[in-house]
Amino acid sequence: MNPPADNRRLVPAYLATTGRARPSRNTLDRLTVLHGASDPATVSGLRPEETRLLELLRGGALSLAEAAAHLRLPVSVVKVLVADLVDAGRLMARAPIPDAELPERQILEKVLNGLRTLKSS
Amino acid sequence: MTEIPVALLVTLSVGTAAAVALALLLARSMREARRLRQRSAVAEKDLQDAMRHQAGLAAHAQAVEAEVRHLAAARIPDLAAALAHPNVPVRGVADPAFRGTDLDRSLASVLDQVGDAVTKERLRVDGAAQSAMRGATTTIQALLYQLQTRLQTMQERYDDPFVAEDLLGADFLNEQAIRRIQATAIVCGAWPGLTRQNSHVGDVVVGAMSRLVGYARVQVTNQLRDPVGIVARAVEPVAVALTELMANALHYSHPELPVAVTIQQGNRGASIIVDDAGVGMHGEEMERAQRMITGEEVLLLTELGDPPRTGLATVGQLVKQYGFATSIETSPYGGVRAIVHIPGETLLTLLDEEEQPMSPMAPVPRGSASAAAPAPPHGQPAPRPEPAYGETVQLGAVHGPAADAAPPVRPTAQPSATGPSHAAPGVDPGGPAHRSGAAAPDGGDELPRRRRRRPAPEASLDATAAVSPETAPHGRTSAPQAPQPAAHAQASPEESAERWAAFQRGTASGRAAVDEAAAPGQAPSHPHADPRSAEGNPQE
Repeated sequence: MNPPADNRRLVPAYLATTGRARPSRNTLDRLTVLHGASDPATVSGLRPEETRLLELLRGGALSLAEAAAHLRLPVSVVKVLVADLVDAGRLMARAPIPDAELPERQILEKVLNGLRTLKSS
Repeated sequence: MTEIPVALLVTLSVGTAAAVALALLLARSMREARRLRQRSAVAEKDLQDAMRHQAGLAAHAQAVEAEVRHLAAARIPDLAAALAHPNVPVRGVADPAFRGTDLDRSLASVLDQVGDAVTKERLRVDGAAQSAMRGATTTIQALLYQLQTRLQTMQERYDDPFVAEDLLGADFLNEQAIRRIQATAIVCGAWPGLTRQNSHVGDVVVGAMSRLVGYARVQVTNQLRDPVGIVARAVEPVAVALTELMANALHYSHPELPVAVTIQQGNRGASIIVDDAGVGMHGEEMERAQRMITGEEVLLLTELGDPPRTGLATVGQLVKQYGFATSIETSPYGGVRAIVHIPGETLLTLLDEEEQPMSPMAPVPRGSASAAAPAPPHGQPAPRPEPAYGETVQLGAVHGPAADAAPPVRPTAQPSATGPSHAAPGVDPGGPAHRSGAAAPDGGDELPRRRRRRPAPEASLDATAAVSPETAPHGRTSAPQAPQPAAHAQASPEESAERWAAFQRGTASGRAAVDEAAAPGQAPSHPHADPRSAEGNPQE
């Protein structure tokens, strides 16, 4: 008689941060690379979601967006978690690889154009 | 001279005759008089009797009338009160002389009929009210679920902290609204309105708690040995019942006191224990509450007070319909302890942690190495493998299946770490085998793999796919390795970012490996070396 099972979430996201979505630092970005602090001695006394996040990073670095996807939490909430953990020194956040280091689009276009002219000539 | 005697004789005889006649007459009249006297005496007595009788009748009539008046003035109001409050006594006849008489019986039958009529009418009215409420709540509940979906989508979509915070706030309010409307609907005889998937007990508890103002005061401890889940059909009912019990605990305790919730596993099911240190209940309240939560009482909407106190009534309805059990007693903390017992045979199931990971907000089972709870006594997180194994061993000894059920929760790092250094943990027969089987392929090789190692169990959900195309294949194929190199062939920006990170990571762990190599003998005694070796060496 009951309708088919629903995938509706059982645990809402606000529970992770008790409703906060404003991180203590605004330097975080979806692409911020996270990795656990080298000293693992600080993992005690954490809330479950923080523990999970640190466990997730134990295997290596992840971008913030990936971590959010693994935790199935909104990015805004994960930012708060990350900011808290960074403040507590349990997590390192590194800015994403800056765009400057990647070849610039204009240069690539110039190269492409040059190649095309070579080919056509 | 003869004439004289004759005359005398005649006179005498006449006189005699007259005398006789008179005597006769006198006698007769005397008799008559006596008879008359007697008759009058009888008549008088009769009259007196009649008078007395009449007085008796009048008194009786008066008494009956008084009795009827008593019925109207006292007994019917008593009955009305008794129907609303069963502990109010209904008085009997006023005059003890009437006890057991026909009058008593007929008056009692009047009362019975009035009582029946009132009860029936009340049930009918209540039923009508309930169905009206059901109709209204069903619609509202559906709308609120839609709103929830909408809010959730928006939470994913908007990163702006201010917007996000408002969205979280709105989500919470909506959740509270759902809880209220759902409880009302259930009291009115509706079903909980939602069927979920099989869910971890921890998720259900945390989900229930999230619906309440003051959820931050709820402290959940998870002592499950196995990844126990509740079957789909009972998830929402149990969550609702828990919500109401926790709401009571929060409401009747000081706003700064914690509410302790413990999830325990027993031989025949799981129990969730809600303890508060609040004001508690006195004997009668406790009895009433116990009656209500067992669902024994016929529930009338109109008896729940104004505003209706639906909490325990909701629990009672759900218990009656879904077959779990609740009980209430005085808590050792001074307040009230409510226990929800979920029978294993019908309502519990074992869940695959990889297929269906627990919510990150749910407390990790004590038995698993990732549990934060057992860590503090040991200071470092690294030693956790040992206590965790110890625990599992103990429990495993008691309960066989626990052994291979618990390990999936453990960080993957440990099985692979324990492989070399912790030969002893072989005590866990099913566990390491089961787990390291999955972990070994992960542990052995290239960089990106190591990264997936932790997420791998969780990555099976396709959430990851959205983030980076590379993640998905990894997550899905945690065991087979082949697809991974293929996935690396085409590099997305995220991937190259990851590679750089991995490169750095590799350097770091390489250094760590050197450090460790310096003290190889310590490895078993200083288990904090293990996670590092697990993380670093084998992976790289």
